[in-house]
Amino acid sequence: MSEATIEVSGLRKRFGPRVALDGMSFTVRPGQVTGFIGPNGAGKSTTMRVILGLDKAEAGSALVGGRAYASLRQPLRHIGSLLDAAALQPGRTGRNHLLWLAYSQGLPAARVDTVLERVGLQSAARRKAGGYSLGMRQRLGIAAALLGDPPVLMLDEPFNGMDPEGIVWMRGFLRSLAVQGRAVLVSSHLMSELQDAAGHLVVVGRGKVIADASVTELLAAASGDRVTLRTTAPAEAATVLERAGAAVSADGDSGGQLTVTGLPAEQVVAMLAAAAVPFSEVSAHRASLEEAYFELTRDAAEFRAASPPGNPVTPAARANAGEATR
Amino acid sequence: MSYALRAEWTKLRTVPGTVWLLLAVVAATVLLGLVADAAASCPSGGCQLDLARTSLTGIYLSQAVIAVLAVMTIGSEYSSGMIRVTLTATPHRATVLAAKAVILTALVLVAGTVAVLGSVLVGGLILPAHGFTSAHGYLPLSLRDGPVLRAAAGSVLYLALITLLSLGIATAVREAAAGIGGVLALLYLIPIIAGIASPHWQRHLHQIAPMTAGLAIQATTSLRSMAISPWAGLGVLAAWAAAALLAAVALLRLRDA
Amino acid sequence: MRGGTLTGGTISAYQSETGEGRDRFAQLLRAEWTKFRTIRGWLAGMIIAAVVTVGIAALDHASCGGIVMPGGSVTAGQGCSSPVGPGGQAVTDSPYLVHQPLGTEGSITVRVTSLSGQPAGPASAGTAAGLQPWSKAGIIIKASDRPGSVYAAVMVTGGHGVVMQYDYTGDTAGPPGPVSAASPRWLRLIRSGDNVTGYESADGTRWHVVGTAHLAGLPATALAGLFAASPAGSTSAASSSISGSSGGSGANLATARFDHVIVRGGQPGRAWAGGTVGGNAGGPADTGFHQAGGTFTVTGSGDIAPDVPAASGGDGFAIEHTLLGIFGALVAVIVVAVMFMTAEYRRGLIKVTLAASPRRGRVLAAKAVVIGSVSFAAGLIGSAAALLTGEHLLRSNGNFIMPVSTLTEVRVVAGTAALTAVTAILALAVGALLRSSAAAVTLVISVVVLPYLLENTVLPAGAADWVLRITPAAGFAIQQSLPQYPQVAASYTPANGYFPLTPWAGFAVLCGYAALALAVAAIILRRRDA
Repeated sequence: MSEATIEVSGLRKRFGPRVALDGMSFTVRPGQVTGFIGPNGAGKSTTMRVILGLDKAEAGSALVGGRAYASLRQPLRHIGSLLDAAALQPGRTGRNHLLWLAYSQGLPAARVDTVLERVGLQSAARRKAGGYSLGMRQRLGIAAALLGDPPVLMLDEPFNGMDPEGIVWMRGFLRSLAVQGRAVLVSSHLMSELQDAAGHLVVVGRGKVIADASVTELLAAASGDRVTLRTTAPAEAATVLERAGAAVSADGDSGGQLTVTGLPAEQVVAMLAAAAVPFSEVSAHRASLEEAYFELTRDAAEFRAASPPGNPVTPAARANAGEATR
Repeated sequence: MSYALRAEWTKLRTVPGTVWLLLAVVAATVLLGLVADAAASCPSGGCQLDLARTSLTGIYLSQAVIAVLAVMTIGSEYSSGMIRVTLTATPHRATVLAAKAVILTALVLVAGTVAVLGSVLVGGLILPAHGFTSAHGYLPLSLRDGPVLRAAAGSVLYLALITLLSLGIATAVREAAAGIGGVLALLYLIPIIAGIASPHWQRHLHQIAPMTAGLAIQATTSLRSMAISPWAGLGVLAAWAAAALLAAVALLRLRDA
Repeated sequence: MRGGTLTGGTISAYQSETGEGRDRFAQLLRAEWTKFRTIRGWLAGMIIAAVVTVGIAALDHASCGGIVMPGGSVTAGQGCSSPVGPGGQAVTDSPYLVHQPLGTEGSITVRVTSLSGQPAGPASAGTAAGLQPWSKAGIIIKASDRPGSVYAAVMVTGGHGVVMQYDYTGDTAGPPGPVSAASPRWLRLIRSGDNVTGYESADGTRWHVVGTAHLAGLPATALAGLFAASPAGSTSAASSSISGSSGGSGANLATARFDHVIVRGGQPGRAWAGGTVGGNAGGPADTGFHQAGGTFTVTGSGDIAPDVPAASGGDGFAIEHTLLGIFGALVAVIVVAVMFMTAEYRRGLIKVTLAASPRRGRVLAAKAVVIGSVSFAAGLIGSAAALLTGEHLLRSNGNFIMPVSTLTEVRVVAGTAALTAVTAILALAVGALLRSSAAAVTLVISVVVLPYLLENTVLPAGAADWVLRITPAAGFAIQQSLPQYPQVAASYTPANGYFPLTPWAGFAVLCGYAALALAVAAIILRRRDA
């Protein structure tokens, strides 16, 4: 069996005049959770539907484990997926929903009970799915994706409708799947949901990939080389540091806080100490994933509300993270 | 295919409506047949009544119930979005439709057989009491009689073909309400609208309309004056069903799910 | 005030910038109408409904003379048009008449000793040949021998005893019983100005009044005479259109023997003149009269009565014949109306709707008003256009359309639109009850369209009548434009435009079902969780 991957290359598709996919290409590798992230309408769900053979792309290819989805005999043993957790007939019980799905892959009924237990849905399994909460439907959808014990998993917005406890559970669950060596692709439009869960990120906007990097790389790029300095002698500090080639600017009204660009934190500490300039705090600035994401997708967002007053959209980190990772 | 069959069978049996609809098929067939039998009377003989056709009148109604069953089978998957789950599990789309067709047809054949046998039984009990006796030149309604057997077995086949026609139309339309509207319009409207046509065209309409042609199989008397012969009529309906299914497969493969 | 403001440290409650509307129900209507018109498929469905109604009328290719009876001739006498009687209605006026002039004051008296009937040609299978229940012979005072002119007559009939009839629609029964040499009937008509009184007697001495008729416009010199007529036989069993076989009919002759013929107030010594009213083109050849001494033998065919297209040999079209396409429109309207409701449940839109207007009964009412109005409009446009198109086509193919009053025409067209609207409301309510579009569409089509189809195809006559009384399909009676005449034997079936209930009673049945369904839906909607 070939390596468990999803390989997407050069997908193009338009719905009428609207370009949905504009050369989407990326690869999902085993052993880690890959976050598939981008604003609404960026083409995440369309890409997933193309991967599953539900929609046809006008150009490009999407392969699961090196094969086209339509050629898979028992596809759920190769890739488990969750597109829309609400997509089930309300009159059928959760267990029976999994049962027909299992039979369609030649899997035994025992497998249904195994996955129900895995997602913690045993108690509700014999109730009609129409009465499930959104969170329960998500769990049922995850159970369906796990039915064939597939090496590849692909989940579209699995955090939707989950309570905080559910979100924590989902993060741990996704990590545990990746640790087992599976390739896991999880889409979201909220970076915070993927924090601590994803090891790799594919950021998309307007139908193509904007960034494809590990979380560490993205953060480093977004953080830049900035240091925040708190001192009672800002003027002396600025003189010392500027002499060493750094750019210094004052933050806030108090004047006691400076932002230093161009020198690493250790060097700032060493130089201030050598010049006997007093300081109370030196910290390397660390961008959040949120900031990195905003920076990347600033131009790619399809729909953006008029910004409400008193809540600036522009984050502090305006570093050239986008340039760095492109 | 066998996996897909098992999956479709599981789907159908785990949705609460199926059993009720199948029971409704039997009830509608037998009850409307009973009404028609009870209303028929021939106290003095000399009436021209096709006993087999009268006792099987209920098919006119139960075909609508069958159509609901077939249309819902695919329509509810589209309305809930579950069709995407189905097509993800079985990417070969023609297989999905074929599996649905096989399972539905099997169920309808069983329910249809029960319904038709019930109707013939009821007809055999009621009609002689209304003057349709051998004294008035009527043979008792019996399946040992060749034409009656043809009418009975043909009615079951008719229901099966209506199932396939409905499944095909609903798959092409992807919408339960529009699908059932289309099926019932095709079945019921042509005979009504034929009333406006000249006798020549009326005859042609009766030859090509799925319901009038298909139900020719129920005739046991005055076959000469029929617009179309029994088996040819059922063949016309079969052609309609085949065309609907082919169109459905083509659209299913062509369109994004 | 915009937003909250800080005043003395407290925050005043936020006031919605959108002001309170005045009429809540008008808002609901507007909301529901916006929902309706923004779904392209629903608007398309309504347009389809109107177009189908017209389109099917445009398919009408009936042509006069195209209806060939298996038995042979097309129809007895009249060709493709009917004369118009004094009441404006189409009439049949083709008896064999033997007549003399009659002044303003006068009378005619005869004794009838026999009435017999025979088929005009070889009898066709399945039709009653020979003496018909409404074969008739007797005496008549008539304005002229022009078809459609005013008249009054007393007569003996094949199955309805002695009858006085006048001006085609007037019909007064006298004593029952057949006529024979052993029990002859004496008949007398007395004219006094425009009034004619009919008498009958068993012995020629004791006379009884049968009835009196006022004949407006009876000329000073009218005709008095003897006549005989016999309508064509009607089929005994309802024809089964589903099997493609149709029943036939054949022309019949009636022969009556008269003696003791006395005319007063006429022109004494004048010879009797005979002939078929309106000429005998295409009619049976054996009509005529024979006079031997005081005995007259008169043989006639045809009828003198209102024209009924459904009668054997009738060849006109009722205006509602052009509105058959409404069945297609109904299917489209039912589908749209059901979806208008069930689409709310599809993805939980109902929760938004009920959050926006918590009074659920009013939501349903607003939906009913919207779907009813739209359907009415579609039905009105469709049926008015269909009527014009159909009438034009029928006329240009040489067909005769039964004349009706403008009021009736308006009732038929507006009634068809109302039928469409009420059916849509019924469908909406059933959709709210069942919440499953396929089941709701099927149920409504099965109770509205199917009964009409069954009635016209497989159901025996008795059951069929009841089906059109107790199911919502009774509403189609609103389309009936022609009255039933007891004095004309015809197959008064829905296929021919006759319903067991009167137009408004039938429509009331449909409305009753719709109201009931709507009420139950409102109650259920209120009780059930959305």
